Amino acid sequence: MTKLIMTFPVTETSHTLASYRSRGGYATLERVVREMRPEDVTREVTAAGVQGRGGAAFPAGRKWSVIKLNDGQPHYLCANADEGEPGTFKDRWILENAPHLLLESMLIAAYALQVRHAFVYMRGEFDLPYRRLASAIDEATAAGLMGERILGSAFDCDVLIYRGAGSYVCGEASALLTSIEGKRGYPRNRPPRLTVRGLYQRPTVVNNVETLSNITGIVRDGAAAFRAVGTADSPGTRLVSVSGHVNRPGVHEIDLGYAFERLLDDCGGVLDGRALKAVIPGGISSKVLTGDEIMPLALDHESLAAAGSSLGSGGMIVIAEGTCMVRLLQVMLRFYHHESCGQCTPCREGMGWLHRIIDRIVAGEGRPEDIDRLYRISAANDGTTICGLGDAAGYATSGILNKFRPEFEYWIEHKRSRFDGNLVCRASS
Amino acid sequence: MPRIVVDGRAIDAAGGQSVIEAARAHGIDIPHFCWHPSLSVAGSCRVCVVEVEGRGLDIACNLPATEGMQVFTDSPAVRERRREMLELTLLNHPVDCGICDKAGECTLQDYHYAHNGAASASGERKVRATKFHALSDRIVLDNERCILCSRCVRFTHEVSKSHGLGILHRGDGSLLRETGDGAFARDPYSDNVLDVCPVGALLSRSSLYRARVWYLQPTRSVCPGCARGCPVDLWHRKPEWRLNALDPAKNRAIVRVTPRDDGRPEGPWICNKGRDLAALFERPRAMQAMLHGRAVPLDVAIDAAADLIDSSKTRIALVSSWASNEELAAFKDALGERFTTFVKEDHRPLPGETIEDDFLIRADKNPNATAAAALFPVRGKPMSAAPSGQPPDLVLAWGEGFDARGLPDGARAIVLDAYGHADHARADVFIPLSIQTERAGHYTNFQGVVRAFDACFDKPASVADAQELFAALAVGARVPA
Ligand SMILES: Cc1cc2nc3c(=O)[nH]c(=O)nc-3n(C[C@H](O)[C@H](O)[C@H](O)COP(=O)(O)O)c2cc1C
Ligand code: SF4
Ligand code: SF4
Repeated sequence: MTKLIMTFPVTETSHTLASYRSRGGYATLERVVREMRPEDVTREVTAAGVQGRGGAAFPAGRKWSVIKLNDGQPHYLCANADEGEPGTFKDRWILENAPHLLLESMLIAAYALQVRHAFVYMRGEFDLPYRRLASAIDEATAAGLMGERILGSAFDCDVLIYRGAGSYVCGEASALLTSIEGKRGYPRNRPPRLTVRGLYQRPTVVNNVETLSNITGIVRDGAAAFRAVGTADSPGTRLVSVSGHVNRPGVHEIDLGYAFERLLDDCGGVLDGRALKAVIPGGISSKVLTGDEIMPLALDHESLAAAGSSLGSGGMIVIAEGTCMVRLLQVMLRFYHHESCGQCTPCREGMGWLHRIIDRIVAGEGRPEDIDRLYRISAANDGTTICGLGDAAGYATSGILNKFRPEFEYWIEHKRSRFDGNLVCRASS
Repeated sequence: MPRIVVDGRAIDAAGGQSVIEAARAHGIDIPHFCWHPSLSVAGSCRVCVVEVEGRGLDIACNLPATEGMQVFTDSPAVRERRREMLELTLLNHPVDCGICDKAGECTLQDYHYAHNGAASASGERKVRATKFHALSDRIVLDNERCILCSRCVRFTHEVSKSHGLGILHRGDGSLLRETGDGAFARDPYSDNVLDVCPVGALLSRSSLYRARVWYLQPTRSVCPGCARGCPVDLWHRKPEWRLNALDPAKNRAIVRVTPRDDGRPEGPWICNKGRDLAALFERPRAMQAMLHGRAVPLDVAIDAAADLIDSSKTRIALVSSWASNEELAAFKDALGERFTTFVKEDHRPLPGETIEDDFLIRADKNPNATAAAALFPVRGKPMSAAPSGQPPDLVLAWGEGFDARGLPDGARAIVLDAYGHADHARADVFIPLSIQTERAGHYTNFQGVVRAFDACFDKPASVADAQELFAALAVGARVPA
């Protein structure tokens, strides 16, 4: 298996500038500012075909190409380090262990996009990641790798950290920018696209931390080398955060196209040796797949799309047989209800409605028509909202209902879970 | 100019217009809550959905009109989506229309009947929120009725710039609130949020529960509060709903004042002083004609005034800057040659009042000083001496602000005023006049814009209409006895 990001053993000091430099760090930045033109960098990134790792898998090069060079306006770059999607904790690995990889990549991206000030919007709850990135910025600035006249060239760029305040929706790219502007983090309507009018109404690129962290390698080794990993339609690797009922949860870097079954093995298999009931493959906003559905799948964007789901944010939640899907949906809907920003009608009202219905079902007061109502509220959020939160909640709900409807009918009829007494996994020894 | 087709009708959209704007410019109304022609696009209510051929459903307020676009505002898919959005909008609404001042002119109520009509599909408990939260001493907020369209918030950010309102919390727990610094209470334009609110969430404390809107009618008028002369509607009881026994005074009350949108570039806004015109108009009136403080019938006083004018030599007139263009012209026609005429400043800024700002409010607190100054361009100190050098032997003071102490020694005084003042008793002749709501006319504002106002009520019989009065005082108007 190829490693593009988790390329080194993590030690007490592996996150420092000295350690990063000993692995060849910042040599690519040096070559870029000395030898390359901004458009050459973007061309390489476009050729590499790297897709967004934040959820939507949009090709980064296509996003970058919208930025017009030398248009007399300031441009901005933002690394999305909000990592709020439940089940996702892979950006945290990068921030804690490879902060300089992110910084070097951001500086290269900033060079390509003619950015003077780049931002990292960081999840408010992140503590160690914040301290690691902040000290990396200090180290890089002291070493002349950041700030004015980087490595003696004419390129100036600073990277600033902006810490969020605990809102999930502020991970949505436009809400993130609005939050950096010091306003309430409401998502914005498109058009205009953020690459046309983003931060402070200027052309802006927002990319996920992992997406950006691939840039250094792409520019160093070339697009062809990047494309040699993964599949034709999903080049490169992905960091997958595996959680739930597996023996060894954690962050794994896999080649795109890696077999799910092998990844499950890498994680030590399902806890307690139970059967695999289901997997949420890419954060709770991606549709659930049953164990049977995912077992034969290769983990790449096209295979998951064909199966009706997505790799999303790479937050893989493994669910063992015996888990109650009604309660799972209840937890998810509580989350969406709590995190809806309240700006647009279908999500603001719909999330609370979904949550209240599922709570009532769990309380033993469900009615047969509730299932239909859950579907209809989900549909009313499909494509009607300003940002993806409302849609995602709808997909998550209809996804679980489609595949596990009998569990809901059982609970409504018997006023209890089909899995009572069989819920908790015994801690593995 | 992109040409788009809306429901089969080809229309030309101005460059940069959204579909909702282009349609509206051609008389096609696409239902909406959060969009407002004078505010930025929020795109949050999701009610203005339209179907675009080849692209599916989208919101018309954030959809740029582009060449050849085929738009349907009432296709089955649009109707169903709109119905869903209305259902969700009403989900946590208390539906207390029976006690809501907005009922009858509430967009939510109208749209519900037009586009949904069904009873609530939800049996869940509604989200409870604050009722009667005082946003300021002028406005109360009912958070349960608020549909979080953010129009009022955008108004304070984009138009009045007080930034006095915002939304707290999130999701269906979102709450509209005033900022903690008191900016909303100080905002001299705050009451405009009453009109931008599409529902009954924002309520004027001065008109709260005073009348159902269907008992009221608007009369076109002009705010006399300053030289801007904003176009307004004065709302009062419809004649067919007159109260005969209960409290007839209510039939002559101005219940509320709203801006009248005549398309002026400043937008459909007025300041809070304009909202308080009822209090301005309803100050204690002068209702009785007097000679030296002694009550006389109106016609006796008019005769006495005519005699005084005939018998004096050096006459000075102070004309009212609250008089209409028609009244000023009538004065000039009838008496202009016999008087040296100066324009009087009837009102000056009151303590605490905003004197002037860079939006609407003007320092000149009179509606028609521009027209008066154009007709009577004489400058100088009126009371000391006429331009001839002769001290005046007659002063005619028209309008508020007459001060008997300012009269030159030996001069007689004719005073015409609509509102009561102790000094009236010291005039040789006092004639009470009608007020703006009892007559029609025009004012010319400081920009030269002429705006009309109509009469709301009949003039009481004991007061004079200035135009008729001047005609009666004109030379030769009296038939010799
Ligand atoms: C409700 C919501 C939350 C999101 N949270 C995150 C997040 O925490 N991190 C992230 O990278 N992208 C998040 N996104 C996706 C971003 O909007 C955006 O697509 C992404 O940052 C773009 O980067 P990429 O193209 O590199 O993936 C979220 C989207 C939505 C709708
Ligand atoms: S979909 Fe939900 S979270 Fe997104 S803008 Fe609308 S209300 Fe806010
Ligand atoms: S108070 Fe009225 S105008 Fe303000 S957000 Fe609520 S519904 Fe909209």
